[in-house]
Amino acid sequence: MTLFTHPRRSHRFPIHRLRRVLRRKNPLPVARAHRFGHGDDADGTDMSDDVLAQYREQARALHERLVHDHDVSVVEFLGATGSGKTTLIEHLIERAPSDEAIGVVVGDVAGDDDARRFRTHDVDVANVTTGKECHLDPGLLGDALTDLDLNALDRLYVENVGNMVCPADFPLGAQARVLVVSTTEGDDVVRKHPLLFEACDAAVINKIDIADAVGADIDRMASDIADVAPEMDVFRTNGRDGDGLDAVASFLTDVRAAGHDHAHH
Amino acid sequence: MHELSVAEELLARASEAAADHGADTVETLTVELGVATHVNPTQLRFCLETVAETRGDSDLTVEIESVDPQAACDCGWAGEPPSFGATAGRVPTARCPDCGSSVEFTSGKECRLASITVPDAPECNEGVHT
Repeated sequence: MTLFTHPRRSHRFPIHRLRRVLRRKNPLPVARAHRFGHGDDADGTDMSDDVLAQYREQARALHERLVHDHDVSVVEFLGATGSGKTTLIEHLIERAPSDEAIGVVVGDVAGDDDARRFRTHDVDVANVTTGKECHLDPGLLGDALTDLDLNALDRLYVENVGNMVCPADFPLGAQARVLVVSTTEGDDVVRKHPLLFEACDAAVINKIDIADAVGADIDRMASDIADVAPEMDVFRTNGRDGDGLDAVASFLTDVRAAGHDHAHH
Repeated sequence: MHELSVAEELLARASEAAADHGADTVETLTVELGVATHVNPTQLRFCLETVAETRGDSDLTVEIESVDPQAACDCGWAGEPPSFGATAGRVPTARCPDCGSSVEFTSGKECRLASITVPDAPECNEGVHT
């Protein structure tokens, strides 16, 4: 058998010389092995061995490119299919100052229904159909950006695929991740998805106008969010009439004004 | 649900490393999978085996090593964060048990290709006594 150490580590680990000497005298009776370096090695060169770390690194690079190089304020909307993400973004577009240039990247498994809705507004739209994927990843978002003129944009909304599990592992480099839940999903929806709340910066409880009709306790949803993510900003909205959207718009203005030093996205 | 694309990435990287050693198949593939991710180990194993089979690697042995979560807080606390109760798998919170702020995970967020073994190349067997 031949034992291979990771080539990128060998220069820092003299133990490989010892192994070589030992191997000559006493070869081990196992198949040839290749060990990959640790992602937490001081030089970080082995990042590509960690698939999720690689996505996080791509998200950081996207953030750098969009927010720092092109001065575009990027806001991601996440939440279940039917929670109201598209409608909320439409309200935000309507509330934007007339000189604000807006782009929207819309992720869906199939179809261009949401993209067609956005095209009726005065915004640039890129549609991403993921096919088999349950979420947008930084590569898909990066590809979609080729359809947009980044130098012209002030604000980019990214609407993720309707899903409350997978996007937690796939940041997209936004300045704020806004998670939308609605009363129709049941008032226990927050407790069912703690990891996604932890991965986001703000939460919107939507469809408050029909909470009574569907038997949802909005205060319970808000207190569940406070339990899971105490620092999270929470907004209550009625996407149909636009109630509560001014507060969301003003939060996003503050996000932009707060600058580009957002900690972990 | 994203286990399939994660499996494809891991296998692509494994094949690349195998090719570096002149091998076109991978015998054993070991993945270190953090507990604080949304990647399901059972599904990941299934996807790795299935994708490998489509590439003609039907005898692939998949080892998945679970990595415990470790986190650190600005307040000085560091350790294993508590988990949410009543979940099928262990789901660590990202809260500091001391001060309640958000913590940064120092481990438990990885999905890392740790090692592979490839079949012995004929020329390497010469003179090797097993």
